Amino acid sequence: MIAPVLSPSVALTILVLFGLLWVAFGYVLGRQNRNLDDYMLAGRNVGLAFATATAMATWVTSNTTMTAPQLTYQLGVWGMVGYSLGAVGLLLFAPLAKRIKALLPHGFTSGDFIRERYGNFAWRIFLIISLFYALGWLISLGMAGGILVNALSGLDYHLGMSVILLVCVTYTLLGGLKAVIATDFVQTVIILIGVVFIAILVIRNVGIEPVHAELAQDHPMLLNLLFPAAIMFLFNNLLFGVGEIFHSNVWWSRAFAFRNNVGAKAYWIAGLLWLPIPIVAGFIALAAPSLGLTIPSADMVGPLVVANLLGTAGAVIVFIVIFSALASSLDSLLAATADLITQDIYRGHINKNASDAQCFKAGKFIILTLGLMTWALCLPRLTTLASLLYFTGAFVASAIWPIVFGLYYRWATGLAAALAMICGTVVGLWSYFAIGFYVAALVSCAVSLTVILLVSALQKQSFNFKELGDSTA
Amino acid sequence: MIPVGILSALILAAIGASIISILLLLGLVLRDVKEGKLW
Repeated sequence: MIAPVLSPSVALTILVLFGLLWVAFGYVLGRQNRNLDDYMLAGRNVGLAFATATAMATWVTSNTTMTAPQLTYQLGVWGMVGYSLGAVGLLLFAPLAKRIKALLPHGFTSGDFIRERYGNFAWRIFLIISLFYALGWLISLGMAGGILVNALSGLDYHLGMSVILLVCVTYTLLGGLKAVIATDFVQTVIILIGVVFIAILVIRNVGIEPVHAELAQDHPMLLNLLFPAAIMFLFNNLLFGVGEIFHSNVWWSRAFAFRNNVGAKAYWIAGLLWLPIPIVAGFIALAAPSLGLTIPSADMVGPLVVANLLGTAGAVIVFIVIFSALASSLDSLLAATADLITQDIYRGHINKNASDAQCFKAGKFIILTLGLMTWALCLPRLTTLASLLYFTGAFVASAIWPIVFGLYYRWATGLAAALAMICGTVVGLWSYFAIGFYVAALVSCAVSLTVILLVSALQKQSFNFKELGDSTA
Repeated sequence: MIPVGILSALILAAIGASIISILLLLGLVLRDVKEGKLW
């Protein structure tokens, strides 16, 4: 075990200073929120710069800055290239974002679309999948916060996790989506500068050739282009990323929030800008063998390499980068999940006649409750980050085809969509346990596709897309 | 096994692209502020 290089007081100071900065953003921007549209969807008028940055920052998570190095350490070059294919999800969502805004100009959530397009049964199945995924991602992020603080400063896992959650919940609660988007922009710039700076220093201090030589001698599998598990991972990750983005309200709420004609451009640019980040972050992990590091837990490889190589300054930089990455995703997920619960559970099931003012109030209460629930579930450090994350792959990949066919084709039916999501999830989960984490999304997606095509063909129905715009107006 | 040249090209291209990303984002935000299209 390598001793932490950041003192606990420095770590706490960074958390408090950046925490105060984000909370100040939340407070100032929250004062501009006058109605539910402002709070949930930033007034539906977000410009290209903020739209691009928020899409990018939300997709740069602790899973990019910590899991990408972890997977590179375990799966080699394909690990980092495979992780970078997560960008495909953003790129493919670009045309969908345009279509979503055109079909549902007054929509709030992804649940709105599923309910109006497929009916109540498919909507409820979708909500279970979506909320399970959101909770899984929230726990993954909360745990990553605790692990980061623990790895770099020796501070108690529970303390770090609690402080990070407290900061994110506070500014999201105060400022709604505007605060989330504004902080995302600042966090994106911090993440990019930090990751580039670290990678350049790794090259200067270790060099690419010595890293390659060391791996070729002692860990040739990490440079192997025919590493079977890694190739499966590559395709699985691609589908997992597509499933996460296509179904999650995090991305739908942004499609509703972006100014007209901005959504498609923003997702395109964000995808292209995101693509190199896992490669840069993953490369850092490849230096571990050259440095002779013993990695006690694979999910700590990134922070430990940087801390070992660059000392306190490196530890401070990586701490700030990962805190920014965590916050940029946690806030988005908190806001979007609270929107989904407010609109689809509270207004959809509990109080069907709720006014916007009541939903505004309920939304704030839900953000707070979600934060508390995440905190409670993060208390035991259940599993490694990657395996927790990939557990949800079976769920989200099952929603890809119901979303795509539902948005573009009349023939996709509600029953077919519901059965596709159920069968995809069940068989995907079976493959997760029977084969491995790296095939869950692949299997789920394939099963879901087969079911929706078969059942829709048997039912022979035709949907009228005009019903969508009318129902959410 | 991936040759050292290709690994180097991959890493350097990724770092270069990330630097361009920073400049592009800052450029976009300046443009949106100037045109009043930030929000």
